[in-house]
Amino acid sequence: MTDVLASRSFRGPAAEDAVESVHNDLDSLWLDVPFVQDMDQMTFTTAVIESVSNIIQHAEPAGDEPVELGVDITVQPALLQARVSAFHAQPPFGPMEPAVPGEDSESGRGLALIEALVTTVTFERQESTNTWVLSRTSSQG
Amino acid sequence: MEFSYEVRDSYAEVKADGRLNMVSAPKLREFVTDVIAGGSNRIVVNLEKTAFMDSSGLGALIGCLKAARQAGGDLRIAAVQPQVKMVLQLTSMDKVLTAYPSADEAFSND
Repeated sequence: MTDVLASRSFRGPAAEDAVESVHNDLDSLWLDVPFVQDMDQMTFTTAVIESVSNIIQHAEPAGDEPVELGVDITVQPALLQARVSAFHAQPPFGPMEPAVPGEDSESGRGLALIEALVTTVTFERQESTNTWVLSRTSSQG
Repeated sequence: MEFSYEVRDSYAEVKADGRLNMVSAPKLREFVTDVIAGGSNRIVVNLEKTAFMDSSGLGALIGCLKAARQAGGDLRIAAVQPQVKMVLQLTSMDKVLTAYPSADEAFSND
């Protein structure tokens, strides 16, 4: 059995407002689990916001329904995990390998940054839902 | 996020308070573009109260840097907080966007 110490969930339109909502959820989550080290909070928050922004900016609807964003975050004794989903979405377009943009490029660093921030990133597709699972093994159990 | 600016002796100081994310990044770019258009091409972005920056925010800073250089000047950042420093280091952009301890020091040796 997993021992979930704290959690937050968000579901709503994949629109700009969602970025601030999810960020506020994360800030309040950390207040519930003050033992999670600052570095873990900082890296995990950044990875989740990158992932959410990626969906808002790039997810395309699969049909008539607009893309919805879902974020489920759980804190376990030694594990931070977020399931970041795009509902009613087409499969992601193009390669999912992180790019290495030139130093004067103004975009394209998000995926590489996510990979640097968390321990594992996995992708699942089920029906019309794309889900990225971000896991970070926390420094203190 | 809130932006403000003040013209100093040899540069314009732009303050960006809040989260520099995909929502605020285009606004920073627009704000700095206006400051440059107003005649200041040496810009210091004071990030003392920027608690968070993602890759969109980083992209905006790079865009602002390019705009300042195109206008014959430069853009430097100051008072970088831990999360912003982490993003700069992980993307190796700390070599391109040089961080100074304070806005005063950013152009002090030029």
